[in-house]
Amino acid sequence: MVAVVFWVAFIVALLGGISVVWQREPLKSVLSLVAVMIALSVIFLLLSAQFLFAVQVIVYAGAVMVLFLFVIALMGPAREGRSGRLRFQTGLSLLMVVVLAGLAWAMLSGVQYRAPQKGDLNLFGTVEQIAAGLFSTYLYPFEVTSILLLVAAIGAIYLSRRERE
Amino acid sequence: MDGILHFQDGSTLDTSSFLLLAALLFAIGAAGVMIRRNPLVILICIELMLNAVNLTLITFARQLQNLEGQLFALMVMTVAAAEAVVGLAVLVDIFRVREVEDVDELSELKG
Repeated sequence: MVAVVFWVAFIVALLGGISVVWQREPLKSVLSLVAVMIALSVIFLLLSAQFLFAVQVIVYAGAVMVLFLFVIALMGPAREGRSGRLRFQTGLSLLMVVVLAGLAWAMLSGVQYRAPQKGDLNLFGTVEQIAAGLFSTYLYPFEVTSILLLVAAIGAIYLSRRERE
Repeated sequence: MDGILHFQDGSTLDTSSFLLLAALLFAIGAAGVMIRRNPLVILICIELMLNAVNLTLITFARQLQNLEGQLFALMVMTVAAAEAVVGLAVLVDIFRVREVEDVDELSELKG
């Protein structure tokens, strides 16, 4: 059952990812990316990351993608220019991507994994464990993250205010 | 270690199939950044790449049964949200002045 769910999510994520790049309209790219994120959230759940599953659906597929949709709604249906300035850019990019994927595959085919730590998989990835890590060992990065979000919010407000002197 | 993950219903999956999906999504996102010309779509492709990285982190967290990978993925999500907010604000600012069909048009800072 787990394997079936995984391979279905695998195929959905892969097709969605190709669709993100393939679609000519930005709106369809965003909707494809939402499909990819939902599929990835299913895989997160399989990997016993329950909290990250919820965050992925709410924050990513919900908030961030709605932000993209709002910007598209603001800007109108912007199309993109067909021809680039560099003639071989598309071909070279595809070649580089094939090389990148090939390198990744070569690395993955012979990889030696470290032995897992002994732990209870029923408790792994629960909100309780995430909170215990986040509020004890990693308290400092967590607080810095809140400052980062504050700076981003102030920056967005500053950049998008209406009047200029 | 062969890296085979055991699940509660008795089925098994190879860790490398999760990592393969992440690598493929990352490569597709990189292709999008290089091929597409609309700055908004480039931002979308960057989000795709960040999601692929998150999948790698969470896969290794599960394989090693070490929670730090999940915590780092949480940090990556936060940084990605901040990046999307600021990037989109800059884009809206640019689009207010003129229509951009190609990121190569935005080359005024070139010396």
